Amino acid sequence: MIPINKMEVESELRKFVGAEAYIHSEATSFMFVRNFKIQVTNAYIAGEGPYRAALRFDGHGWLRMEELTHFEVDGLGRLLLAGFDDRGRMNVALHLGKEPFPE
Amino acid sequence: MNQEQAPKRKLLAVFAHPDDESFICGGTLAKYASEGVEITLVSATKGDMGRRMGNPPYLNRETMASAREQELREACDCLGIGRLIFFGIRDKTVEFEDEASLIGRIEALIQEVKPDVVLTFHERYGGHPDHCAIGKATTTAFRRSAEKGSLYFITFGDALERPERYGYTKKDVVRIDVHAHKAAKLAAFRAHRCQTEIDEWVWQSDNAALSRLGKYEYFMKGNVDAPQRASDDLF
Repeated sequence: MIPINKMEVESELRKFVGAEAYIHSEATSFMFVRNFKIQVTNAYIAGEGPYRAALRFDGHGWLRMEELTHFEVDGLGRLLLAGFDDRGRMNVALHLGKEPFPE
Repeated sequence: MNQEQAPKRKLLAVFAHPDDESFICGGTLAKYASEGVEITLVSATKGDMGRRMGNPPYLNRETMASAREQELREACDCLGIGRLIFFGIRDKTVEFEDEASLIGRIEALIQEVKPDVVLTFHERYGGHPDHCAIGKATTTAFRRSAEKGSLYFITFGDALERPERYGYTKKDVVRIDVHAHKAAKLAAFRAHRCQTEIDEWVWQSDNAALSRLGKYEYFMKGNVDAPQRASDDLF
């Protein structure tokens, strides 16, 4: 995972717009959802760091997250966004993939 | 050799996450392994939903399971654990598993291994929902299927140094002297790198780090009707 580069993340997010995506999303100490399938209509990243991200989906849905700090495009083309505190502990995560994530 | 004819003593530990075995009772496992006890460890999950991702972070949610599996394999080598079994349950979801099938898997393992000692978490004092759930299932499996042996609940730190505080007596507790096995325990802590990197003491000099590990580990007896046993030995 590397610190978020907003332009790179924006261009990676664009690859999911108009497509079906599988989502893993979590607020680590409180909840997670894994593999909900959505049709992405818009995808945004905002802020100057830490960053906010939002997805509009299925014509009527929102997913919005704060406190994102790091990202990675892994070898399977999945976009992994995460927010870590200053000691490497995860606070939030948002992953987008074209295939289901391992259960 | 006469030693070869003596039946092997066996220990089965059924825990929830990679690192439970090291952080909580690593000294005891290292001690019995060094005495030739055959140890089988179950980790119900791969700790794949953990929060600590290295410091600075080098893992993500999708790489965590295999990293922690590898760390646990190294920790098992440090402690002398010969057999490791994963149940493949997602971290944080053990309490939502079908309980009957979970109990069944543990029963089958008890019947196969025939352990003299079974270690697990207390079903109420486990401290994490996964701990309590695997402890409850293991306790039920032990009571149903173990033809011999003793059940113990692992406990945190020195909490049971004075069991009266929790409504127990010294008779309910076994205290294991692990001072001769602290080096193995420290090595296991360090094997769980992504989990311990945040704890500066683990990475100080060996002597400084070893001084932070307690001399004793404490276990609560799980089958009080078992024959009276020594208070400083699980077997």
